[in-house]
Amino acid sequence: MRSVSRLLILGAAVLTGGQRASAVEPIRPEQFSRLQALIKPDPNEDKWTQIPWLTDLWQARKIAAEQGKPILLWEMDGHPLGCT
Amino acid sequence: MATEEYVPVTADDWYQRRRDDAEGRFFRRVADQGPRKGEGGSTRQGIYCLTADGQLLVYKNAGQNPEVMREALRQGLREWRKLPPQRRQPGAVQVGEPDQIDPRYTRTPPRGGLIVNVFTRILDHQDGELCRGTCRTLGGNQAARDHLWLTEAEWQSLVPADPRPGNGFPLPAAIAERLLRFHLVDNTRGEPPMWRREDIRSQLMMLTVEEATAAVVRLRLDGFALLATHPDDAQADRGFDVRLLGYIGYDRTRKMINRFEVVAVGDHWGEGPFTRGARPGRTPLGIAFELADGKSAADRVPPQAARDLRSYFGHDR
Repeated sequence: MRSVSRLLILGAAVLTGGQRASAVEPIRPEQFSRLQALIKPDPNEDKWTQIPWLTDLWQARKIAAEQGKPILLWEMDGHPLGCT
Repeated sequence: MATEEYVPVTADDWYQRRRDDAEGRFFRRVADQGPRKGEGGSTRQGIYCLTADGQLLVYKNAGQNPEVMREALRQGLREWRKLPPQRRQPGAVQVGEPDQIDPRYTRTPPRGGLIVNVFTRILDHQDGELCRGTCRTLGGNQAARDHLWLTEAEWQSLVPADPRPGNGFPLPAAIAERLLRFHLVDNTRGEPPMWRREDIRSQLMMLTVEEATAAVVRLRLDGFALLATHPDDAQADRGFDVRLLGYIGYDRTRKMINRFEVVAVGDHWGEGPFTRGARPGRTPLGIAFELADGKSAADRVPPQAARDLRSYFGHDR
């Protein structure tokens, strides 16, 4: 690991060239789990994800016709389940 | 209500308004009954309540606002119940198979490939530690989502042929570029601009073998990158100075990746045309990657950047 750390420091010096050095501290292994938990959504944070969304409008048509239900289509620029 | 009374479905309007096939035509025929007719190819995004045979019941343009969504659902049900009972009965409408699918505007995960969930969140500093951030944009403090796709050949390239603990090697270039350009982006307030190749001002991402047994290979990823829209990042209107740490596990018996967890944290600044409302200056942004099983419909939603599939997979080099 030590050799990789040295390489990263060397790489930073070489690759950044005339750039300013990074102001960001490296992530320490002991921070990893906490950062993951901080960034990822909590189980109850996005209640809309608990809805069993389909992603195929044609399939939704078929199911709606079979079950005698209307369709709720949530359509955005940027997939609601994949962007924002 | 959405689960019990409706068949809920989501879609990316960028594909739906362009696809020249039965599904695209069906959607546009529904949308044309409302205010969003997509003149000049413009967006038709919004909430639609409709019937299986294509009658628009309700349209609203406010997907992120729960109260507006709830009211649209209630109104849609009222309109639905006004229809004659014989139109609402199960089986009253027949829906056949689509006659064709427009391959230009459909995306499926690469066969044998890897799907990785990507979450992004604004952060803040508090008492010397990072914490969840706050902002003025509605929903901008929540975790945003995307997916990273790797082909079978790409994820296989992560595992060295003769792994020995302590050995290090660079993250394969195609994967590094995809991570940097298309997944270290701020999508917390909407569709983000991606990084151009020349925006990668510096980067180094190294994999190190931490463990190699007959059963498993465990790799660690250490890296940094400076992404900026100007060669001098002090003059760049948008940038990300970021560090990465991650762990990748390979099951040698089943010949599959069983762990892909990466965290990227750094200082981000700037915004794009559809991500207005960025916090001023350089502020912390965190991105977490973790393996998806690909079984849910949500897992199979394509990466935002896969609209330009050639570029996403680096075939435009």
